[in-house]
This record gives sequence, C-alpha cells and structure tokens, in this order.
Amino acid sequence: MDEIRQMKVQRFEEFVDLRLKPDLVRAVAQRDKVFEQQKVFSDLKKNIETLQENSVTSLKTLVNLGSEVYMQAEVPDTQHIFVDVGLGFHVEFTWSEALKFIQLREEKLGRQIEEYTDLIASIKAQIKLVLEGIRELLQLPAEVPVRDDRVF
Amino acid sequence: MGSVTSLSSLFQPEEARKAARRVEDTISERQEEVERLKGFVADNTALIGLVQKLPDELHHDIMVPFGKAAFFPGRLVHTNEFMVLLGEGYYAERTSKQTVEILKRRGKAMDANVQSLKSMIEDLRAEASFFDSTAAEVAEGLVEIREEIPEDDSSEKGSVEQGFESTSMAENEEVTNEDDEYARLMARLDELEKEEQAAEVASANDEETDNYGHGEISNESIFPEELDSLSHPHELPRWPEDRHSNRGRSLIQDHLAPNMLERLNLEDRSSRPIPEDANSCADNPRQNLQGLRNQKPDVMPKEATSSVTSSSDQVPSQPSPSAPSPRRADTSKAFTGSIIERAPNFQASTASSQAPPSSQPAKPVSRFKQQRR
Repeated sequence: MDEIRQMKVQRFEEFVDLRLKPDLVRAVAQRDKVFEQQKVFSDLKKNIETLQENSVTSLKTLVNLGSEVYMQAEVPDTQHIFVDVGLGFHVEFTWSEALKFIQLREEKLGRQIEEYTDLIASIKAQIKLVLEGIRELLQLPAEVPVRDDRVF
Repeated sequence: MGSVTSLSSLFQPEEARKAARRVEDTISERQEEVERLKGFVADNTALIGLVQKLPDELHHDIMVPFGKAAFFPGRLVHTNEFMVLLGEGYYAERTSKQTVEILKRRGKAMDANVQSLKSMIEDLRAEASFFDSTAAEVAEGLVEIREEIPEDDSSEKGSVEQGFESTSMAENEEVTNEDDEYARLMARLDELEKEEQAAEVASANDEETDNYGHGEISNESIFPEELDSLSHPHELPRWPEDRHSNRGRSLIQDHLAPNMLERLNLEDRSSRPIPEDANSCADNPRQNLQGLRNQKPDVMPKEATSSVTSSSDQVPSQPSPSAPSPRRADTSKAFTGSIIERAPNFQASTASSQAPPSSQPAKPVSRFKQQRR
C-alpha cells in the first residue's frame, strides 16, 4: 500500500517536472515573443505618426551594416513604406494605410497575448492541482507552505 | 615497501563515470560557444568584404530599415564614410580602409578566442578520456602495485623525491608542470649548446692536425652527429669532460624514454596480466600526466626516482657504479620515461638535498624484476 502510494507520488512529480513545467516555460517564452512584436509595431506606429506630424518628405538615417558599423543612407520619398506583414512578405503602404494595418495587427497581437496568458494560467492551475493531489496522497496538512512555492 | 591498492578503493566507479559525464557536458557547452564565435567570425569576414566593396559606387539603392518591421526604399550615400562602434557607446567616423583594419583586428581577437576555446576543449577531452579509462579500470577490478627498488645513490634521489612531493602538493599544479616542461627544455637546450661548443673545440683541435672541412661538417650537421655521439660517448674524439658525456647519455635516455617505456609496457603487459596504473596509461603522456595530477603524492612509486632521473646541471645523473648492474640498463631507462611525465623539478630538488631515503630495503625484488635478471 505504502509502496503504491510512493509510486503514485513519484509519477505525479515526474508529470509536474517533465511535462507541466516545460510547457509553462515554453508558453511564457512564446508570450514574450508576442510582447516583443507588439512593441515593434507600437514603435513603428509612433514613428509614422511623428513623420506625419512633421510632414517629413525625405529622411536621412544611419544603416547598420552589421557589427555596429553604420553608414549614412537617405530616403528621398517617405510617402511609401514597406511593412512586414508576416512570413517574410512586405507590403507597400501609404502612411494612413500603414497605420490602419498596424492597428489591426496590434489587436491581433493583443488577442494572442491574452490566449497565452490564459494558457499559462491553466498550466499553473494544473501544476497546483497535481501538487494538491500529492499532498493528499502523503496525507500532509492542508496548508503546505513548502509545496506552495513550488508552483512557480 | 610494496603495497597493493585496489583502484576501486581510490575511485568509486560511479563517481568516475559521473565526473566523465560532467566533463562531457562542459565540452558540449564549450563546443556551442565555439560555434557561436565561428558565426561571429563569418559575419565579420562578410562585413569586411562588404565594407571593401561599398566605396566602389557613389551610392547603392537599398531598402532602408525603419524600425524592425518596416522599410523605406532609399539609397546609401557617402559610401566611404563609416561610423564604427569602438565600445562603450563611442563611435568613430572612418574610411573604408580604416574600417577594414578595425574589423581585421576584431577578427584576430575572435580567432584567438576560438583557438583558446579549442585548446580548452582538447584539454577537457583528455580529461574525459582519463575519467572514462579510470572508470573502466575500476570496473575491471584493477589493483595498483607499488614497490620500492633498492636505492644506492642516496642524497640526490631523496632530494628529487622531496622536491617532487613539495611541488605536487602545490596548488598550482598546471603552472608547475608547464614550468618544469620549460625548465626541462631549457636544460636540454643548454646541454646541446655546451655540446656544440665542445664539438667545436674538438673540431678546432682537429683542424690543427686534420683538414678544415671536417670541422665544418660537424658544425653544420651538429644535431644528428651529436645524437650519434651521445649514444656512444666514448667514441667521440677528445670529448672534453666525461661529465658531459654522462649527462648527455642521460639526456638521450630522457629523449628515448617514451619509446622505451612503450616497449617495456608491452612486455609488462604480456608478462603480467595486471598492469600498473602508471604503466597502463604511460603510452599517452598527457593522460599519464593527468592521472598523476589526480593521484596523491604519497602513493608515488619509488621507482620513479630511479638513478637516472634528471638532466639538470646540478644533479650528477650518472648511476653510481655500485648499483646492481644487470637490471639497471633496462629499468632505469624505462623509469626515466615515467619520471619525465611526473615532471621533476630540478631547482627545488637541488635546493633541499637532505634526508636521504632509506636505502636498500630488505624486501626481495618483484617477480617482474626477477624476470629481467
């Protein structure tokens, strides 16, 4: 009886350590990636808005050639901007079109972030559930402060 | 004072295997690092090519990145002006040629990094293979047999042994070994130089009586001839000092020792099923060295300090004539090899030359040695 319980506890712990926790880590990493994208697009939006406000028609910037070596570049016409729409495709937009697209894109990214947040929450809940199960198997008192901090 | 220690009492097989695994992990980490650095090097070379090519044209049509997700169609202007990051947020405006120089220097630094990482990996590989072989040996139930040989020439040996123990105790063993290696090399060079001078003197004396050409030849082809003469020291005409020749011979024995040791090793294995630890890994000097590093100094075999030990100036390395001659020829050579790998330190040895070891143990020599008689 005791042996069986030991086996069960071990199996549960393995499930938590080998399945749920890696899943959690992966979900968090994916959410971070989406956050990054969101930041990229909000930056772009801000930049385009600045261009619009100052009604810039030509532009001089420094281009990174790699290894932090820069060269001057000029843009004769800023009316047309090529925006990354995913999968390596860039679409030529005017400023207003670009802003419209960026808004749609931001909405989508926001939804993705919410999804990932839900996923992370559910994985955390599962971990907590399994740990509660282990606690019951071991017939430990309910508060279990030691087990609690293993959730994270 | 022979002693039989089973290897498994010194190393747990499980521990040895664990250690080997850990070293393997470190190797793969380093390997990844090397790959990363190689990527940087490739980027750098590509960039050098680009920087060299850019000033060929007055301007290049490119897509100018605007943030991470957008581009403008534009063009590169001022194609011979580069802003190069010097570090800490400082940039310098350079021309194409100057930039290429900077990038080449960066490339050199990265190459050096890659090299050092590679040599680190080599070291770790050797370590891992040592751990593996130790694990295997422990699993086979190997025992380690240590015994003294009867010693006759007392003071030097004692001092050598003492010196060795003191160094092996030292924290910085790696450095000590390198130093010893260096000292050995330098001693060898000194010897060669002296012999060269001696040969010159000899040939100069020859010149007075003989023709001129002989001296020239001996001077030019000093190395092979010298090797030849060293192996037959008394055949050389007008060898200035007998001491030289003796030392020379010990040097030659040093030189030949790995081969000798290997030969001895084979015989050893055939004659005795259980090889000694020192001999079993002697065919790989590096391995041997590492094995020694991991061993405690108090289990050092006394054979290690046999009579023909060091090539230093101060220690007369000539085996005393009273030594038991029949086996001296073979065993001393063989063990000379092992003492090299044990990295004797000459300076310390001559400095502290007291406390002669207990010579002439009453114990009979081993089966192994009896066979050689």
